[in-house]
Amino acid sequence: MLNEFVLEMKGITKAFPGVKALDDMQFQLKKGEIHALMGENGAGKSTFIKIITGVHEPTEGDMYLFGEKISFQNPNEAEKLGIAAIYQHVTSYPDLSVTENIFMNHEIRHPTWKTLNWREMHKQARELLRELGSSIDPKAQMNTLSVAQQQIIEIAKAISTKAKIIIMDEPTAALTARESEELYRITEKLRDEGTSIIFISHRFEDMYRLASRVTVLRDSKYIGTWNVDEISNDKLIVAMVGREINQIFPDKIVTAGDTVLEVKNLSKLGDFEDISFSVKKGEILGMTGLVGAGRTEVCQAIFGITRFEKGEILLNGSSVKSRNPQEAMQNGIGYLAEDRLEQGLVVDWSIEKNVTLANLSELSTYTWLHRAKEKEQAKTFGEKVQIKATSIFDTVHSLSGGNQQKVAVAKLLTKDLKVILLDEPTKGVDIGAKAAIYEIVQQLAEAGYAVLFVSSEMPEILGMSDRILVMKEGRIAAEFVNRGVTQEMILEAAMGEEPVQKKSG
Amino acid sequence: MEQKKQTYQPRTLETQLPFSWKRLFFQWEWMLLLILVAVLLFGSYVSPYFLNYPSLRDGTMVFLDKALIVFPMAMIMIMRDIDISVGSTVALSSVVMASLYTTAGLPMEIAIVACLVTGAVCGLINGLLIVKFKELSAVIVTLGTMILYRGIAYIILEDQAAGGFPEWFGFFGWGYVFGIPFLLIVFAALAIVFGILLHRTTFGRKVFAIGNNPTASRFSGVRVDRIKVIVFMLAGLLAAITAIFLTSRMGSTRPNIATMYELDIIAMAALGGVSTAGGKGRVVGVVIAVFIIGYLQYGLGLINMPSQLFLIIVGALLILSVAIPKIGSLMKRK
Repeated sequence: MLNEFVLEMKGITKAFPGVKALDDMQFQLKKGEIHALMGENGAGKSTFIKIITGVHEPTEGDMYLFGEKISFQNPNEAEKLGIAAIYQHVTSYPDLSVTENIFMNHEIRHPTWKTLNWREMHKQARELLRELGSSIDPKAQMNTLSVAQQQIIEIAKAISTKAKIIIMDEPTAALTARESEELYRITEKLRDEGTSIIFISHRFEDMYRLASRVTVLRDSKYIGTWNVDEISNDKLIVAMVGREINQIFPDKIVTAGDTVLEVKNLSKLGDFEDISFSVKKGEILGMTGLVGAGRTEVCQAIFGITRFEKGEILLNGSSVKSRNPQEAMQNGIGYLAEDRLEQGLVVDWSIEKNVTLANLSELSTYTWLHRAKEKEQAKTFGEKVQIKATSIFDTVHSLSGGNQQKVAVAKLLTKDLKVILLDEPTKGVDIGAKAAIYEIVQQLAEAGYAVLFVSSEMPEILGMSDRILVMKEGRIAAEFVNRGVTQEMILEAAMGEEPVQKKSG
Repeated sequence: MEQKKQTYQPRTLETQLPFSWKRLFFQWEWMLLLILVAVLLFGSYVSPYFLNYPSLRDGTMVFLDKALIVFPMAMIMIMRDIDISVGSTVALSSVVMASLYTTAGLPMEIAIVACLVTGAVCGLINGLLIVKFKELSAVIVTLGTMILYRGIAYIILEDQAAGGFPEWFGFFGWGYVFGIPFLLIVFAALAIVFGILLHRTTFGRKVFAIGNNPTASRFSGVRVDRIKVIVFMLAGLLAAITAIFLTSRMGSTRPNIATMYELDIIAMAALGGVSTAGGKGRVVGVVIAVFIIGYLQYGLGLINMPSQLFLIIVGALLILSVAIPKIGSLMKRK
């Protein structure tokens, strides 16, 4: 019997130590179909792609390609069997030419001499690009092209490997409306020629425009597959976010005080525009939006890591300027970095040295470091956030994700801060540690800090925040007082098809 | 489903580590001490004039001048950078000092100050270039200034020698204080100063932080660029001090002095346990490594061994020093 599916997955599970990144995934891809894959950040989409492309091997489950059971040892095997992936952040060789990028790893060689046949490659590259309706010069250097053009090159590369299945991972995220239209056209053309496409996007408009079927993932689990014309917008959002809100959030008992941090019309070209908000003493202001909406950029500008071009930051009513993190912390602003391993902590160091790193000047006279004071401070603040370790000399990399985050928080507590910006504090920690971090965030608010709580996860935004800001494409798309706000309302503001109304004047 | 009974207990953190023999002896410095003893035994085996106090004492004058630079070099390498222009900085500072005294006829004291300023400025330029042009690696930047500084030295002195310094100037290279070479005293003093700076001050702590994770350091309020510039300036300053001792010992100077110094210095730091990947290193180890390489050179010199042999041994030692920790961790994995 001939199988109607080009790709079929049955019960695919991928477990990493401590977490299931993908749990019992079902997936069927037809020939000549555009199949949308949707889900929140961290729902398991990227693990899913990595399994299809052979980067990860599934722990359990079977995968069938054209009805035959397969398993990949490495990405090259997947590529040979006709599977290609195009990522949001193009992973090409920026200093090489278009032709070199297209034919990387499957260069055309002279039949006898085995030398590279440039003329043939340039010719074929030009033809490929013309078929895609593009007039990019094959000899142009990759980094002289726009993101949209680079994506076309990636598509050309996929075609040149004779890919039968092409995975597009948020290809429209960095494109303008017109460029997206161009991409739609090319995608449809590929479909009509019999290529099967898995299209991953946060934009509903992409899905409605292109896909015939949609599969939804949530919390690493398969939720369901529907025909696009048979599922309503609301139903889809419910499928993506789920109804239940976890009861792991602490009860709010703080009443917010005076405004501490006020941000006025903050702008930085290409990153964010016209950002205004304020946070009060003891208040938790949630900030959400899709990845890439500009949340981290806003935080880092406030913290003095990057410059902003326009706007003003007020602390307790007076304007402050922070040219670097040191000045920001002196001003009373602290920042818990999103990537705690790269930006937050020195992982090879002990808990002690990490906790005191931001506060060394307080622990020294004329740069002479008082070791006894340092130990005492590490102990005090380490115990305050309840780090699970035997001594202050335990290295940070031996700790769990949640405990590492506690070390980073303890470091902030050593400073005399008024405002704490928390950038995805629960990213990559398990549910138990999340509850502990929520507890800490709540305690920070109770202790009188003004807290900006950035997160992509709707339940924790709704569970923690007093007010909620939703960012979209570098702007604040909506602001809610957290009373009767639903995940649907937030998602609609974050992804909505309607362009954000620009303020006039 | 069984559930673990949990009683709430506030967690406490120990601030004292229990004594451990393993921690005391499982350290690179002990290995270095063994190598040093081996070098001394080897020296006494090849030459009867090697292993006695006056010989070992005066032998230090041969290698300790360049070894002064090893301290800031260790800091630079801890910060994941490198400075290969220090040899040229020595030459340029020396040439500036000599020509100010001989050609310009300024007092020697002023020439010495000018020498120190020249070295510090050379280091400052290195540091500024490295923090301003982050896409260039420190190797490339200091390769450039290495050629540049040497070139300026040649322009100033035009491949001539300059000398005829006042008699008291010879004290730096040849002087003794209480029967100990002045140079050895300066080296010991600098070892203590840099040992304290690196291991007991916030400045040193920040240097290690930068070497371990520059981004996290910056996010924690460490002024990464400023510290880098200061350390590169220190390297330039110490190169100038080396220039004073070296010029004094030789009695005259040429633009081609101190060539390849950077390699010996980097070798000393690496052998001393300064990780080339950054973030690790101790002054004690570096000091022992200085004496290992120095006495090896001195011992081989006593028996007129070709200097190539010295290079071969230093090369082998270097490879050994990076290989041994790797072998250890490989065995641990199995």
